[in-house]
Amino acid sequence: MYEKILIPTDGSDTAEMAVEHALDLAETYGAELHTLYVVDTDSMSLSLGPEQLDRIEQGNWGEMDEVRERAEGATRVVADRGRDRGIEIVEHVASGRPHSVIEEYAEDHDVDLVVMGSHGRSGIRRALLGSVTERTLRSTDIPVLVVDAR
Amino acid sequence: MTVPTAVLQSGLLPEGLNVSFKLAPAIIVLGMLLLFLAIGFVFRVADTENMWVAGRSIGNVENGMAIGANWMSAASYLGMAALIALSGFYGLAFVVGWTTGYFILLIFMAAQLRRFGKYTAPDFVGDRFNSDGARAIAAITTFLIGFVYAIGQARGMGLVGLYIFGDIGLPGLSGYQSMVVFMMAITVGYLTISGMLGATKNMAVQYVILIVAFLIGLFLTGLSQGYSTVLPQLEYGMLISELGSEFSEPFVNQPYYIWIATCFSLVVGTCGLPHVLVRFYTVESERTARWSTVWGLFFICLLYWSAPAFAAFGTDLYGEQVGAVYAAEGGMTSAAGDVIVVLAAQLANLPQWLVGLVAAGGIAAAIATTAGLFIAGSSAISHDIYTNIINPEATQRQQVLVGRLSIIALGVITTLAALDPAAPIAALVSYAFSLAGAVLFPMFFLGMWWENTNRPGALAGMMTGLTIWTIPMINEVLPNYLGGVEGPFSAALATWVPAIGSALIAVPIVFAVTIVVSLVTEEPDVETKRIVRQCHSPEPMGQHRTAEDVVATDGGDAPADD
Repeated sequence: MYEKILIPTDGSDTAEMAVEHALDLAETYGAELHTLYVVDTDSMSLSLGPEQLDRIEQGNWGEMDEVRERAEGATRVVADRGRDRGIEIVEHVASGRPHSVIEEYAEDHDVDLVVMGSHGRSGIRRALLGSVTERTLRSTDIPVLVVDAR
Repeated sequence: MTVPTAVLQSGLLPEGLNVSFKLAPAIIVLGMLLLFLAIGFVFRVADTENMWVAGRSIGNVENGMAIGANWMSAASYLGMAALIALSGFYGLAFVVGWTTGYFILLIFMAAQLRRFGKYTAPDFVGDRFNSDGARAIAAITTFLIGFVYAIGQARGMGLVGLYIFGDIGLPGLSGYQSMVVFMMAITVGYLTISGMLGATKNMAVQYVILIVAFLIGLFLTGLSQGYSTVLPQLEYGMLISELGSEFSEPFVNQPYYIWIATCFSLVVGTCGLPHVLVRFYTVESERTARWSTVWGLFFICLLYWSAPAFAAFGTDLYGEQVGAVYAAEGGMTSAAGDVIVVLAAQLANLPQWLVGLVAAGGIAAAIATTAGLFIAGSSAISHDIYTNIINPEATQRQQVLVGRLSIIALGVITTLAALDPAAPIAALVSYAFSLAGAVLFPMFFLGMWWENTNRPGALAGMMTGLTIWTIPMINEVLPNYLGGVEGPFSAALATWVPAIGSALIAVPIVFAVTIVVSLVTEEPDVETKRIVRQCHSPEPMGQHRTAEDVVATDGGDAPADD
């Protein structure tokens, strides 16, 4: 049923809630687990300035240690836990708007299932902070398993 | 409450300026902004699936133009000509100071900053002195600079906006104030949309449009009025003896001291302004950093060479058609001075769309610079204070939220402060230069060139700089916002430590404090020293490398102490 499972992560506790579910499914089905960190270019531009977008455009990620550490740290957590359980892992870091990158990645790699955590925010907090999970749900037709943090 | 009383007082109105809604100029302004957005959109950072591949690199000329566009604000476009028109020779302190600053930047800082390889000014200060406290002070300074600098931009937009959109008459506000609110709303809106767009390509285009608008305005004004033919930048010299003693007899109306103080502040301020320095962090190599400074200087010179000519034409036309220019005979108000560039084009009877183009250029310059300043300010809050100090676990989306909130906060306080601005554009902007020069410049200069500068030294130095900057601000600028108080509080203080040039006093003191405190406290660790040495070592460094990489990979042998 599931040969490739994608777990997007931003390294937050909420995202990691979903990891256990994804690992268990991958183990059960013998699936390959892809873990994806998306560097949000909107947040880069607001928190570091558009000059950093230029740096991304130039492909100078190598010198952006902080960003790189964050990204690789987040996928590494998933990868380490997966390898301990003998699951085949693919780690990936990309940049763009998270929900559209997740959607594209899933389609390009024939992913069968996306597993994501959700903050379960509501009201104003949801409107302000938005929900990558919600947008991904709306934009993709691949099955998505949402693990609510609450 | 003191603010509302101040608000009610201000009805800045440039006399002689045709205040009414004009369709063609309005279309030009909106068209320019849409064009900037469209270019930003076309060259935006695409979703990249694999980030480690190399993309395009930014060349010298393009980066030079970006430096020019980043730099050219309402202060250069409008304020410089305004000060020259109002005070003649004194205004040249701005031309001299702002260009000299780039030489210091070129010689002492551009390539070295590239070598250090951090993202922002607070990042540099925080990492070099290994201190969150220093980072926080630098971040707050960055935010303050954005705020003070933007007041001048808002004033420029409000005044020029009057020519284009007329008096839109928001309830309870004067025509000028309504226009400030309207323009700031457009700026924050533009920023929300443009924030995620790539910067460099867009800035290169902005530069070309602004300089074309300015030069065409100058040439046609000169040509149509018979002042000049092909080189108005030189030909305006023939007018000088007719313009009054402000032009022909330097230092008659303004003492030497204030000229030197202003000029010095502008020189060191240029080397400490976060939105200027940021252009050096991202270029591909130190060579590019150097050459883009040279190009940047050239592109800036095109404007600076022309501003005095524009001011001279404007002053002469004003004297003929509107009334006496100088204070002795009643004189031109600072509001009219601030739009002298637009006024000159209007009084020369150029077609309305052409005057509109000149005005639109001024507005575009102000909006683009304000956008850059607000992003630097919001990044100081969201990246340096929030993410690095308050909440290290912040997710990317929380950073976006904090960033947006700080932009809105900046927009609101800038608008409020600009409703009744204390001084002409160029003077308002100089306050920001004094701040950058007093606090950030010494940290960059000493941090980069003297390896023994340490954390206590930096902290003491920055606090001293902030204090010395604040005193004249309270003395001269604050009374303007307090109802019923005539400023300055102390005339002697205003003479010797003028707010417009307080860096002349502050910089030597900050240097001394930083050096003395660094000497009496513990030296920084060896690794920091080696990074500093690497930043100005004569050995060339490879592309895309930072001093930190070199120190981390070359093992124990330190480069020779120079």
